[in-house]
Parts: sequence; structure tokens; C-alpha cells
Amino acid sequence: MKGPLSTTAILLAGMYVFLKFILPLFTAPLPASLIYLYLVLTLSATMIFFTMSGSSLDSFMGPIGRFLAGTDVGGTAKTARLLVLIVFPLLVGWQTYTRLAPSDLPPAENRTIHPAPPGEFVGLSNPYPTNEQNIQEGKGIYAANCSPCHGPNFDGKGTAAPGFNPPPANFADPGTIAQLQESYLFWRIKKGGVGLPIEGMPWKSAMPRWEHELSDEKIWKVIIGEYDGAGQSPRTWEEEE
Amino acid sequence: MSEVALLQIIGLCVVGVGILILLFIKSMFVRVVGFVVIVLGSFSLIALGVPQMASLPPAIETFDIASVKTPDDLASIGQKIFFSKGQCALCHSIGPSESARCPDLAGIGAKLAPEFLYESLTSPQSYIYLDFRHEGVPKEYPARMPYINKNPIALSKQEIYSVIAFLQKMSGEPISIKVEDILEPESEETEVASVSVHGHE
Amino acid sequence: MTYQISKNPMTTIPAGRLLCLPSLLKWGAFLALFLFPAFALAQDGATAAQAVGYRDIPGLGSRNIIWVIAQQHLLLAGFVLGVPLFAWVCEIVGWRTKEARYDKLAKEFTKLLTSAYATTALFGGILLFLLIAFYPKLMAYLTDVFFPSFLVYSMLFLLETATLYLYWYGWDAMQGNKKGFHIFLGLMLNVFAFFIMVIPNAWATFQASPVVIAEGTALERAWAATWNPTWWPVNIHRFIANIVLGGFICGAYAGVRYLLAVSREEREHYDWMGYVGNFIGVFGMLPLPFAGYWLMREIYQYNQQMGITLMGGFLAWLFILQAMLIGVLFLGANYYFWLGISHRIPGSEQSYKKPILAMLVVLMVCLGVWMTPHSLVASLEEARKMGGTHHPLLGVFGVMSAKMTVSNLMILVTFMSFIMYWRAGKQETAGWAKVAKAIMGAMLVIAGVAVIVLGVWGYFVPAIVRINYFSVAQVLIVLFIMVTFTPLTGLLMKSAKTTTEMVWGQMPIRAGYSLVLNAVMVILLMSLMGYARSSSRVHWHIYGVMRDTSEYAYSPALGYAAAFMSLNTFVFCLLVAFIFWVASMGDKGKGQPKPEAEAKVPVGDMTPAMAGGSPSSSYSQKG
Repeated sequence: MKGPLSTTAILLAGMYVFLKFILPLFTAPLPASLIYLYLVLTLSATMIFFTMSGSSLDSFMGPIGRFLAGTDVGGTAKTARLLVLIVFPLLVGWQTYTRLAPSDLPPAENRTIHPAPPGEFVGLSNPYPTNEQNIQEGKGIYAANCSPCHGPNFDGKGTAAPGFNPPPANFADPGTIAQLQESYLFWRIKKGGVGLPIEGMPWKSAMPRWEHELSDEKIWKVIIGEYDGAGQSPRTWEEEE
Repeated sequence: MSEVALLQIIGLCVVGVGILILLFIKSMFVRVVGFVVIVLGSFSLIALGVPQMASLPPAIETFDIASVKTPDDLASIGQKIFFSKGQCALCHSIGPSESARCPDLAGIGAKLAPEFLYESLTSPQSYIYLDFRHEGVPKEYPARMPYINKNPIALSKQEIYSVIAFLQKMSGEPISIKVEDILEPESEETEVASVSVHGHE
Repeated sequence: MTYQISKNPMTTIPAGRLLCLPSLLKWGAFLALFLFPAFALAQDGATAAQAVGYRDIPGLGSRNIIWVIAQQHLLLAGFVLGVPLFAWVCEIVGWRTKEARYDKLAKEFTKLLTSAYATTALFGGILLFLLIAFYPKLMAYLTDVFFPSFLVYSMLFLLETATLYLYWYGWDAMQGNKKGFHIFLGLMLNVFAFFIMVIPNAWATFQASPVVIAEGTALERAWAATWNPTWWPVNIHRFIANIVLGGFICGAYAGVRYLLAVSREEREHYDWMGYVGNFIGVFGMLPLPFAGYWLMREIYQYNQQMGITLMGGFLAWLFILQAMLIGVLFLGANYYFWLGISHRIPGSEQSYKKPILAMLVVLMVCLGVWMTPHSLVASLEEARKMGGTHHPLLGVFGVMSAKMTVSNLMILVTFMSFIMYWRAGKQETAGWAKVAKAIMGAMLVIAGVAVIVLGVWGYFVPAIVRINYFSVAQVLIVLFIMVTFTPLTGLLMKSAKTTTEMVWGQMPIRAGYSLVLNAVMVILLMSLMGYARSSSRVHWHIYGVMRDTSEYAYSPALGYAAAFMSLNTFVFCLLVAFIFWVASMGDKGKGQPKPEAEAKVPVGDMTPAMAGGSPSSSYSQKG
């Protein structure tokens, strides 16, 4: 059988298999929300394409309409229709049940990794210059205080890291400190996880509040050491060099 | 039932009404309304399907002298004032910035004495640059800086001192403002300010 | 799916305040009664006026009322400011080409404008009353700062109204040799309209990005406050968005009239009008993302906190919704073009199937990338497998570099859709046509590849280089393609011979609906971005200067906001439908077209186009 309807079905099934089973062979599995999004996009694409002309619209919608209206002849169609009439409400019921049933899983969540800092931390700049002495000093403070979690190689793979969920930030990843200004790091180090606004879900971060342990000077120097060690540079609005 | 669930039910009902209209009503205009209703209902349902989060305002903080124990406390209060009530950051930046319209204040606490900083804030026109690039009498360049101790910003002397403490700290300087300075009686504050203004006139 | 709002630690305030659901329910009844400002004042009338910072109507909420009224006013204003622009251009086209149907179309646009104008002013007045009533402290501050510009605004309003009256009522009287003056009136109408938009923009942008007001005269202070960092970015963004809104609403109007049409003439006319409306909307939509990007950049530079709140923080999900709406809009506009090719040009269906499929695939892939959020919604189990809420592979789609790339590609594809529509049914005769087409094809491929290369490369350079050079380069590449292709195709088409005539009035019902869908998407988008603009100020009336100390200082959750946006959109649609219906009642009186009258009417006749008075033969000449 070849027609718009079966093409759509094959495409959707293929897409699902690819996203659910084939892609995870190469990388981490996709969350259900994303798979759902891509399937919806695929479905919309086929619908747009097949409703372009009158004839393809007919061959796309026609079978569905005929099937539901019962104008299809033949015993199998009748049984199938009956089956659909029974199965569809059951599916809806099952869906509703799984949604409402109590479960021991925490709800799916959407934590903002880099929420906006409070106003008073936005415009700060590092008062200490990036020179060899400050880098070494900063790396020393880092080794003593930060490396157990964030790792001696600044990659978030410290000895204590496996104990945390979410895991400690990987500074070598270009998506972390390279996207941020130094003032942002200063805020996060100084105020720690509890200083996050609610969209950052402060209850989920294990980052200590370092303001009681480290002076501002030390925090600024750690930042210098961190960027150097991770091979990243802070986000700036000024062009360097 | 949670509010989100209630809103979702309303959304579903709206979409349902739209579908019913499309199924059973012939009048073209009503059908278009039904279509619009389906679109809007679906949009709301999608928006209700993502994690919901309201943004709450932070608690209003007040300047409490009793809580100030060290110059660092003073500087952290100054930091808050610098970026909010004092409105300093509307023009000034600390460190290079493309958008700053006024001088960069990085290192200013090391460059300038606290007394001079105080005067710049409360009597910005005391030292005016002159423009000699033309014939005749040099033209004055009045500072665009507002009087920080007057309306609309109107910081108190304590607040200005804490901002200076913050500026010194941001320059990697030892803070020379002492906690005792801000405990002085209020009457002296007006005097200091008025003296510097008179000095200019 | 599960929802977090109901029972977890973040809801520390009473749930009723967070979602105000009862108030939402009351809106239906409330809007039916319509707003009566005195009611608002009655509540706290007894309180001493001096000390009052806020007034409220318990149950409904002052902010909700302002939300609805301001949104209606802004949408109407957007329409009223957008339409004269292309009505005027249409009139000029009609004047230059001597084609009566353009003049008629311009007049029909202007009729919609005239009837919407009074309602806009009405809502503006209500909004002003309510603002003074609900936010006395804020309004006193803004009045203090902006007092001179209030006067200028009032003056402009008088001028605009007078010009509009002259423009509309003088339309028929000024045909012929007075047409030049009429065109001049149209120009003045647009100039006044532009400044009527620009002045309130200064008030609104001052709230978002204030500057310090130093000592000075009232004029100096107002001038300083007006030139705040986001003023011009917002001006440009709104100016373009108003054209898009106007275009798509006119398109939707034509779509509905097309669906309701009974006679062949009407179908032809409204099919064509729908095409023009959609064209104007798409035309405006192409540069809109660039203007938005510039605005975003200025906001980010003005204040990092505001920038992060918008892009990565609290409002990050809003931009996924925005991507969805823009995606649907792009798809809807392209779908309408494609429907036009397959239905207006008989026999072209098969030959265009392949390019359409290719474009569709590119659009969908782009949309998929655009809609992939940076922080994914994931269950604990899924998040653990991914090592956080960022996916190791697809996480790269979440950042700005990817979004910029795909939005540029989508613009490029939409532009090509338009070019394809333009060339459909025609055969180039010029000798250099082959070479030109080959060059254009090559340029297109190079441009697409260049945009992608820049996008990928953008991951490996510092943010500042990407923002200042790569993104700008991408935009310039796409603009360059548009600027070179349009005249080139125009030149090609000049000498081309038409192989298949366009047949108007043959579009399927879906086409009418897709026009309506596009308009709804634009209105929703404007509502959504209004919420974004307001929420990005977080708990400030004037960012960093005047704090919102009312109970409505919090920003509502996206779902609740979306319900309000939908309500606003629906009310606006009904309002517009009502206004247009009233406007067309006049035609029905004189309207029954007399067949013999058509032969007599001169160019630029007085028969309203809406009554189907256009000779059908003229439509088939449309190129």
C-alpha cells in the first residue's frame, strides 16, 4: 500500500525508532519531551505537504474519513473500526490514569542552569589583573577548595563529583564559564547554591556559600585561576587585543 | 485541583467547543471563530504544559546601621546601593563596557581619596573641565553627574559612605571608611554637604 | 507530564495570588459589561489622594485590567500605524501604474484604518484613566519627567486625526490632478503616525532602561530620558512589527471575506487582497528577526541581569514558545505561497512538488533546532542519563549560535518561496536568463553554506566575536541575497512571457484559514513579547529606579500569562471583526453592484471595492 497516509505512518515510525533507539547508540538518550516535539514537527511537515493539493489531500484525509464514517466496505474494516472505538477510549483512560496515579518519581523539571544574577553583582569586574602570580595563587586556592568536586583538571570530575546530582559544573565545557562574565562567577562562588533565585532551584545545588570561607580577594583570584586552568576566557563586551 | 489543572481543563473545553463548531456548524464566520478558538486554546495548553514558574520579587532590604560590624559589611551595603537606589550603574560601569555613558569606575577607589569621592558625589560641579579648542574665553563643560545627596536620588551620608567603601574594595584597596564614620550624628551630614556646595559658589 | 507549580517549595505565596484564577474567570463577564473607569475609582475613592501608591479592584486585579486594556490599545495602535504605510504605498503603485484596483485596495485598507482609529483612541483614553487611577505614584514620576512630550504627543494626535479625515474623506474628491496632494497627505499621515508611536515608546523604554535625570529644564530632562538605550531599537522593531501586523490582519480580513464570498467577483477580489496582505506581512517579517536581535543585544548590553532574565533565566521558556509561534507563522506564510502556486497556476502542481518538499524539509529542520531548548524538560531518570538537563549532543542546538543560524536559513527559504511564486507560470525569454539563474542558484547555495559555516564556527570563538562579527555577517549575507535577487528577478520577469495565467478565486478553503492563522499568530506573538518586555523589568516599575511595591510585583507563570494572551487575542479578533463589520455595513446599502454601471465607471471609480465592483478581467493580468 502506497499513499500519503502510509508514508506518514512510516515516516513517524522511522523517526521514533531513530530518536529512541538509534541515536542513543551514539550519545545519551533523548528525554521524552524532545522526542515528542520532533514527532509533532514531523507530523506537521507531512500534513502540510499532503494538504498542498486537492488530490493529495483526498488521499491523505479520505481513508481516515471513510474509515471513521463506515463507508469502507469489507469485514476487516468493520472489525477494525469497532476495535478503534474500543481501544481509543481505553488509551485515553490509560493516559489519564498514568498522569494522575501517585508515583515515587519526582516530577520532570526544567532547571535554569544560569539564572539572572541579582542586580548588585551584574556590573562588577575583576579588580585583580590576570598575571602569572594571580593565576598561580588562584589555582592554589582552587586546588584546596574547589577541586574535590570540580576536579583537578577543571572538568567537573573531582573525586566527590559522583555523589552529586546535578553534577558539578565542567569548566572545560565551552557552554559553562566561557558563556559567563567574571562577575557572574563571583556571585555564584560567593553566594553558592542557596543564593540562586527560584528558577535556578536553589534546593538542588550543592555549591557551598563561600563568602564565609574565602575573602572577596581570594574569590576573584580563584576565578582568574579557573579560567586559565580550563583554557577558557570570560565573556566580555569589549574586544580584547 | 491545582490552578494549572483548572486552566488546562478550561483550555481543553475551549478547544472542544471549537471542534464542535467545526463539526456541526455550517455558518462560515462561526467556523472561523471556532478555528481561532482551537488555535488559541492549543497555544494555552502548550504553554501550560511546560514547567510553570512565577518570578517572585526579592525582599525589600533596608539600610540597618546596627547590622554593620566591619568595613566589609559597609562595602556590601554600598554594593547594593550602587546598583539600585543610588542609580550609579545606570551610567557608570566598573570595568570596560560598551554601553556605559560615563567614566569607568574600575580602580577609582585607589585613584581618588574618599574625601574627593564624597565631594564628587555631593557637589559634582566643583571642578569643571574647560574647553580651550576655540577662540576667546574657554567654554565650561558642566558634569552630567547629578547631586547624589539631593532629589531624586537623595542618598544619606551613611549611604554615600558605604558606596565609597564599596568603590575602595572594588579597587583592591583597604577600606578607609570606618564604621564609626557612619555612626556620627545626622546633623553633621547636612553641614558637610552644604560646606562643599558653598565652596564652589 | 507533571506540573511543578502546585506543590513544591517555590510556591511560598498563596496559590490564589500566583494564578488569580477566579479573576480570569470573571473576565468574561467583566468584558461583557465593558470597562467603566468610575468603577475603578469608586473602590478607594475615600483614601487621601496624596499618600496612595496603588489602587486596586479586588478580585479582578489592577494589573490584569491594565494588561487587557493596554494590550488591546497596543494591538489596535499597531494596526492603525501599520496600515497607512502600505495603503499609501498601494496608492502610489496605483497612481504610477494607472491600475485602478491598487487604488481601490488602498482605499479599502484606509477604510479599515478609519474605523479602527477611533477605537484605538478610545482604548488609549481608558488606559490613561486606569493608569492614573491604579498607579498614581508611577504616573506622577513619569509625568514629572516627560511632561513636555505629553504636549507634543497631544499635538501630534490632533494633526494625525485631521490628516486622516482629509485623507479618507478626500479620497474620491482628490482623484485626477489633485492626486499628488492626496499622496502628500498620505505621507504626512505616516510621518505623524510614526512619531505618535515613537513618543510613547520613549515612556515605555524609559521604564525598561532608564537613564539618570540630571538637573535641567523640563525639556532637557524629557529629552535626556527619551534618548534611553533601548528607545531606537524598540522604535524600529515596533515599526516593522506594525507593518507585519497590519499586513496579516488585512490578509485575515480578506481571508474571511473570501470564505464568506458568494459571487465570483468577490472571490477573485478577496483572493487577490489576501495575497497582497500575506505578501506585506511576509515582506515585513523578513527583517523583523534582525531588528529583534538588535534590540536583544542592546538590552543585554544595558543590563546583563535583564538580558539573562530574558534569554537564559526566568523567561527562557517564553522564547521556546516564541520560536513555536514564529515557526508556525513562517510555515503558514510559506504554505499560503505554496497553495498559491498549486492552485492559482493550473497544471503547476507536479512541477513544483520537489522544490516545495525541499523547502519544507529545510524549514522543519530549522524549526526543530530552534525549538530545542537549552535546558530540557526531563525526568530525574532521563536527566541522570544525560548528565544534567543539557543533552550532550542536542544541547548544542540550545545556544544562540544555532538559533541565529536557523532563523537566517528560515528567512532565506521564505524569501525563495516568494521568488518561486513570482516566477511561477512564466518563461524567461532574455538571452542571459540561463546564466542569471545559474548564478542565482550558486549564490543561494554559497549563502546557505556560509550561514551554516559561520553558525558552526560560532561555537569556537569568544562570544563577543560571534555577536559582533559572525551574527552580523550572517544577517548581511541573507540581506545581500534579498537585495540582489529581487531586482534581478524583477528584470528577468520584465521580459518573461507568461505561459500560464494566474487564476484568482480558485484557492481552497484551507488558504482562507491559513491567512486567519497567520494573523492570530502575529497577534499572539505581540502579546507574548509584551509580557516578555514587562516581565524582564522583574519587580521594578522603572528598572533600578522605582520599585514595584504592590502585591502584583511578581511576574506570573507562563501558563497563566498564555491564558491571558489567548483571551486578549480573542477579544482583539472579535473587536476587529466587529469594527470591520460595522465598516462594511455602509457598503451593503449602496452596494448591490449594477452590472451596467461597471462599464461606465472611470478609472478610480467610486464603487466600493468591497461590494465587488471590480471588473474581473483586470485580475487575470496580475503578475
